[in-house]
Amino acid sequence: MAQQVGSRRSMIVSLILTIAIAFGSLVATLSLGWGPKLGLDLAGGLSVVYAPATHASNADMQEVVTILGNRVNGLGVSGATVNLQGKNVVVSVPGAKDARHVLAIVGETAQLLFRPVLCQVAEPTKKAKTYTGSVPTCASNYLWTEANLGVTPNNSPAGFASNAPAVDPNYSVVKTTSPPKDLPGNNVILPYLGNPGVRYLLGKSELTGQAIGKAVAQQDQLGAWVVNYTLTKTGSPEWDAVAKENFHQALAIELDGVVQSAPLIQPTQATFTSFAGTGQISGSFTEQSAKNLAIAMEFGALPVRLNPLNTLIVSPTLGHSALVAGLGAGLVGLALVLLYTILYYRALGLVIVLGLAATAALLWAIISALGHTALAPSFDLAGITGIIVSIGITVDSYIVYFERLKDEARAGRSIRTSVDRGFRSAWRTVLAADTVSLLAAILLYLIAVGDVRGFAFFLGLSTLMDVFMTWYFTRPLVILLGRRSNEGGSALSMAAGLTPGVAAHE
Amino acid sequence: MSDDAMTKVKTPGRLGRIYQGRTTIDFVGRKRTWFTISIVIIVLGLGSLGIRGFNLGIDFKGGSSWEVLAPHSSISAMTSAVKAAGLSNPTVVKLGSQTYEVSADVKSLSTTAQTALSNKVSTAMAKQAGTNANQVSTSSVGPTWGASITHRALEALIVFFIAVVAYISIRFEPKMALAAFIAMVHDLLVTIGVYSLFGFQITPDTVIAILTILGYSLYDTVVVFDRVRDNAGGILKSGDLSYGEMVNLSMNQTLARSINTSLVAILPVLAVLLVGADLLGATTLQNYGLALFVGLMSGAYSSIFIASPLLAWMKEREPRFREMAERARLRSDQQVLTPAAAAMRAGESGQRLARSTASTGTLPRTTPGTLSRGTIQARARKQKRR
Repeated sequence: MAQQVGSRRSMIVSLILTIAIAFGSLVATLSLGWGPKLGLDLAGGLSVVYAPATHASNADMQEVVTILGNRVNGLGVSGATVNLQGKNVVVSVPGAKDARHVLAIVGETAQLLFRPVLCQVAEPTKKAKTYTGSVPTCASNYLWTEANLGVTPNNSPAGFASNAPAVDPNYSVVKTTSPPKDLPGNNVILPYLGNPGVRYLLGKSELTGQAIGKAVAQQDQLGAWVVNYTLTKTGSPEWDAVAKENFHQALAIELDGVVQSAPLIQPTQATFTSFAGTGQISGSFTEQSAKNLAIAMEFGALPVRLNPLNTLIVSPTLGHSALVAGLGAGLVGLALVLLYTILYYRALGLVIVLGLAATAALLWAIISALGHTALAPSFDLAGITGIIVSIGITVDSYIVYFERLKDEARAGRSIRTSVDRGFRSAWRTVLAADTVSLLAAILLYLIAVGDVRGFAFFLGLSTLMDVFMTWYFTRPLVILLGRRSNEGGSALSMAAGLTPGVAAHE
Repeated sequence: MSDDAMTKVKTPGRLGRIYQGRTTIDFVGRKRTWFTISIVIIVLGLGSLGIRGFNLGIDFKGGSSWEVLAPHSSISAMTSAVKAAGLSNPTVVKLGSQTYEVSADVKSLSTTAQTALSNKVSTAMAKQAGTNANQVSTSSVGPTWGASITHRALEALIVFFIAVVAYISIRFEPKMALAAFIAMVHDLLVTIGVYSLFGFQITPDTVIAILTILGYSLYDTVVVFDRVRDNAGGILKSGDLSYGEMVNLSMNQTLARSINTSLVAILPVLAVLLVGADLLGATTLQNYGLALFVGLMSGAYSSIFIASPLLAWMKEREPRFREMAERARLRSDQQVLTPAAAAMRAGESGQRLARSTASTGTLPRTTPGTLSRGTIQARARKQKRR
């Protein structure tokens, strides 16, 4: 075994390089204006965790992620993420100003279905019961058939005239279809969005929202809000087939158990013509309702129904106060630790202070850079806690080394020899202990969900930093200081408990 | 601190002895005491768990909670405001100095109704706080959320246990892995028990914190065992010490480090608990801080008082070490090495190998009552005769 750990020259180089890299990268990130990507609990914002209501394949869940991602981005909020954790979808919108509006849009989790309107049915009374089996269709005089509706194009502003078939009163004893029974293959009774008391009996779903390529809310020449949509390549012929079958009848657009709109098909035309891939829905839309319908049509088609498991909205003020609390706690904790180590180790304590400063500078630079590249989990309270916990682990590496140093000095060795020998035994301990810590961090990161991942990530990162700093910073600094010392004269031998002869002295 | 200052201290107090590495605490011999203390705490905790169970947060029961920063409100004003908004049975608490948290069980309502109610409550609370509804934090949790988080955490825990036992078995030895594992289970049980005893609320954050504690407790144990392994390859070979005595020595050698490290780890956590949570009212921090605080204390305790005596006990059941322990017991001049004396002794053997450059002028003088150079040589001779 070599008597000395590394040559003097290589240690000076590694010390200077480490300090230069640590503070240089801090200055670089600061001057670039990069900062950590703050998590939701610090920046404020919205987070929802959805679980599939029924069994869903991985491919289904991937599609859900894509669709929800589109929905969130369609709202024009920046920094939103949608990702899969196990079978759960986590939607996170940090810094969302109007979190409740975002939630309402993203939260429309159901599939978009196109169902023919069979008839309008009466409001349920208090005695109404859940229908067992499939819901029967209305008597023929209530049905919204082509004949009963009697759509005729004319020159009126609307462009057509039609009859309104009577509301079927027999259904007042039947409850609105509950979500579990709202399946594409069933006849269902559903409410009409924005029209309390209006319920439709709808037939089986004939098409899903996957047929829709794009949908936008626009104003027509008269300034009325309409929704213009284009169909996908495969959706276009399917749409034409459905539209032809329901020509001059109403087709309901169902989302999340609610009829969004029930437009008549081509009422201004005497005969059916192909939609040729595009269409327009008009009606009594407001700007908001048209936009909502467009978003629902374009992004609504989910392959599975989702249930919210956990919804969290953090106000920016509370987020900010949590950030202040976290950083404040971290700084107070750090100050206490530094005070203690200086009191205990004197001159060696200053090595810890310098080491922690370099570690902190490098860590901040890395977190900021990672936040800029969006690779790392965002920096949240759990992450801050991970880093605060790692203060203990980082300082412990110094303590292990310094106690070994004291042991060696007690054994009557000179400080020159002690710094080398002490480091060798301390390095083994640090490696073994940090391996355990890293093992914990990696396992937690891989297996756990939610906040735990951020916590584990930052704990693991600081542990790696600890190994790096112990080798490239503490080792050269302490050994160089130790070699410079002539007995009793240097800063190091001033360090309490280190002076040979003092330890076992009576 | 200068040489002169130190020489003036004639009889150092307990702290001074730790500082100078001159403690001779019998960690191994008094294992019954330590084990009894732990068993009492664990039995109390588990008893409380059996009788009262856990105080589970809304993440486990399902429900909704709202939080707002309201400097000029009061609990009663906030309660009546949310009741007026339609919340039938709210729990209102003040977090820190200005933050109010309202929680309620609204599971019986449909998703749509829950959203509507949540918005109403938010608006009412915002009005109380003199701000708008976007400044109100809300959290609504399904009843299975906490369970699913815990499930994943348990999975992580089991994999972690397996990985750790494998790692220590390979890097150190299987008996150390077993002792470290038992110490971890000890910390887990103590933390769970304390949570039940004091009725602290369990949240998913607590679960995370407990995982950290186990990692930390293990980290601590590994540092101590590393020293034991060192000594097992060194001073134990001389045949003067039984395994238990050697573990005792290792414990005393790492005592200053153990105390320092535990303090250094607990200080920031204390800061989190007091500054972060109490003054500023960040509940996540409080949840982490509390579990970490309890766990770190237990972890520091278990590395010293559980893992190491347990290891000594298991090792001394091995024939070769049992023999050694017998001999140690029969010796009339049985003495306990202080870490300082052991270091000195190690230094001498180093000098015999002509490795050290130290001059005799810097050699430590011996302390009466601890091992002197004469004794070591006498024992070394005895060993040769065997």
